[in-house]
Amino acid sequence: MSILYLLIPLALLLLAGAVWAFFWAVGAGQFDDLDTPAVRIVMDDDKKPPDDPEP
Amino acid sequence: MSYSACFHCALPVDRDDEFQVEIDGELKSVCCPGCKAVAELIRDTGMSNYYTMRDAPQPGVGRPADDAAEWQVYDRVDMLGAFAETSDDQAEATIYVGGMYCAACSWLIETTLAKVAGISSADVNPVTHRVRVHWYVGKLGLGRILATLAELGYDPQPLAPESAARPEVAEQRAALKRLLVASLGMMQVMMFAVGLYAGDFQGMAADMQYFLRLVSFIVTTPVVFYAARPFFTGAWRGIVSRMPGMDLPVSIAIAAAYVGSIYSMMTRGPAIWFDSVVMFVFFLTLGRFLEMRARHRSIDRSTALSTLLPNTVTRCDGGERNVVPASQLVEGDYVLVRPGESIPADGVLVIGETTVDEALLTGEAEPRPKSIDDNLVAGSINLDGVIQMCVERTGSDTTLGTISRLSERARYARPSFVQLADRIASYIVIAILVIAAVVAAFWYVTAPDRAFVITLSVLVVTCPCALALATPAAFAAAATRLSELHLLITNGNAIEALSRATRILFDKTGTLTRGMPVIVSTQILDDSFDEAQCLNLAAALETVSTHPLAKAFTQLSNACVATDQRVVPGKGVAGTIDAQRWRLGRYDFAAHDSSDTTQDEQATSVYLGTNGRIVAKFDLDDAIRPGAATTLDNLRKLGLTLELVSGDNKEAVRRVAETLGIPDYHSGCTPEDKLEIIRSAQQSGEIVVMVGDGINDAPVLAGADASVAPVHGALLAQTSADVIMLGETLQPIVSGVRTARKTMQIVKQNLAWAIVYNAAALPLAAMGFVPPWAAAIGMSASSLIVVLNALRLSRYGAP
Repeated sequence: MSILYLLIPLALLLLAGAVWAFFWAVGAGQFDDLDTPAVRIVMDDDKKPPDDPEP
Repeated sequence: MSYSACFHCALPVDRDDEFQVEIDGELKSVCCPGCKAVAELIRDTGMSNYYTMRDAPQPGVGRPADDAAEWQVYDRVDMLGAFAETSDDQAEATIYVGGMYCAACSWLIETTLAKVAGISSADVNPVTHRVRVHWYVGKLGLGRILATLAELGYDPQPLAPESAARPEVAEQRAALKRLLVASLGMMQVMMFAVGLYAGDFQGMAADMQYFLRLVSFIVTTPVVFYAARPFFTGAWRGIVSRMPGMDLPVSIAIAAAYVGSIYSMMTRGPAIWFDSVVMFVFFLTLGRFLEMRARHRSIDRSTALSTLLPNTVTRCDGGERNVVPASQLVEGDYVLVRPGESIPADGVLVIGETTVDEALLTGEAEPRPKSIDDNLVAGSINLDGVIQMCVERTGSDTTLGTISRLSERARYARPSFVQLADRIASYIVIAILVIAAVVAAFWYVTAPDRAFVITLSVLVVTCPCALALATPAAFAAAATRLSELHLLITNGNAIEALSRATRILFDKTGTLTRGMPVIVSTQILDDSFDEAQCLNLAAALETVSTHPLAKAFTQLSNACVATDQRVVPGKGVAGTIDAQRWRLGRYDFAAHDSSDTTQDEQATSVYLGTNGRIVAKFDLDDAIRPGAATTLDNLRKLGLTLELVSGDNKEAVRRVAETLGIPDYHSGCTPEDKLEIIRSAQQSGEIVVMVGDGINDAPVLAGADASVAPVHGALLAQTSADVIMLGETLQPIVSGVRTARKTMQIVKQNLAWAIVYNAAALPLAAMGFVPPWAAAIGMSASSLIVVLNALRLSRYGAP
């Protein structure tokens, strides 16, 4: 079980890395909008306008 | 009565076949040419997906305004200094976008702007209703960007850089970070706790146990000092103000368990409680986060004041006329105001003569004549004359700004049940602390080694966590549900007041009516014309008029074309149709006869005349809101007493009251009278809800137990209203009352559960039957039940 003495500190390092990454992402404004990204995936950005729109 | 709703803006459509748009192969009815244009624009740019993805539209939101020309002024280079930050060839500006209400809106805006040549990026934040745009200065101007937003049916407003920063964003970011630290910390410590508990049963090397405890301590520390810091500061504020809230026992339990665990770890004692600490902090932080999100969803009212005032004004500097941003006006400036523009500051009229619409301030639709030396109030609208005014007060010093500040203050000063709840909570808190102290003393005497563990269990198990979550969780869920039902809650008290309401007071103009005139009857006085002809003639004449009564005609038709039109302020409009001179307006004006003014002088009658003869008489009246009668019936079915209070004359009020079947009505009321009516009803034990829209209603709205303001009313009435009603109908009030009642039912269930749980768990814990980990699980489970019960509200009333 002495491998835990290595693995747990490693896990803590990963945890610290994850927290740092999240703080950076929040600071960069990536979490300011929590609603739009959820629906964005189902919207087609590449839908072409109709060639000959009716007047 | 049933209405089909406009496909674009959800307003009622009068005739299905009048305006239609083909979207994805289907013909859809819309309410007006403006909505038709927007829907076609959205379709032709390939974005009809917007209609399938958006939330249910709020009636009336997204309807385009018809003043596209005004945006051109923003194309000028000197505007960049006021509204944008420039670097090299790029500029960046923040634009407030009114009318944005769901995720699909922000998608539509972002995608549309991205297609405009010259814009390098556009970031939309639906929470703060702001768009941040970067563009190349040489390729296009700010005005083009604003016009693009306006064409989509939104209401854009560029913000000066200093007002662009939003405190909500900072608050949400900080709360997210805390929530993440608490949740990651909880997961990690729980994992170690499982190892430690397994070790208790199976045996574990002492070194390994110490190691796991040490690691738990390392992970718990940031959770306590970072994620839980708001609880400690809140507890300290409670102590300083001698009103200890829920934060105090929470802080004591967190601090005691944390310090106790450290001591136990150092002395290699039998148990640690880091797992209880982190779980506790996580659930509380989650509850606070959800509550904050619900709060931020309520409408952004900070810009209410500035949206009433024009962004740019025409300043007269000597003989020169310069268009400058309104924020640069100072006392003593001379400003030119054209018909249809709003007055940018408080001041005195120096040149010209006009009538102004002060409905924004007074709530009454009747325009007021103004001549030289009369006072003008910022935010009112200049109707028919070109005038010059001398600025006396600007910005927040204006009457508008003062009223706005006063209603803010009234809101804070209002005695509310929240304060009562806080006081009750502080008694509970003190009781818990006393019980914990008694338990600690008892066990210290009988079994000193168990005293700490048992006291801790008592503190954790009786933690008013479920009790604390019971109300906010239900309110947060209800606020979300109500916003889907077109009611924005700005004050949590309103939900309780709405649920207990016994009497609803309605203002007339702009509330029960739309504040917009319609023709109620047409009288033909000359047999050679028929009704349709007269209406066509009138509509053609009124196309140039900005008078509010003109709206009744201009929407009718465009069958005739008038030329050589002339507007005479306060009298009417004249014009030539088919080589004949026509006059429309007051009786004396239409008859072209200045001597005869003894005729019926009712302001709501308009006459059409030619060659000194009167041809037709139109009676105008304020249109009752669509579906108002049904709504009022539904409210009566809910057991509410309805009453009409209005500042209008007796006849007009009586007509509306009789049409809608309201037996109690009061006319000619000043705000003081209205407040008195509310007070006397409250003294006889009634809970009064006031629905009103005028700024002069602000003190009345603040005095009622709950107040509702329609979103199309005066924006400042909304600052003192607890609930803002979106859309054109009154129907949301009915669903609001129903949802509020359901909410209070759920709050009662939650409170009952929390109290039963605490009452059952406290004796067990005090007797020492509950170890801290079981107390923490019990506490968490009870909180979870409370939250899940509250979440039932988010589907309440859905099909």
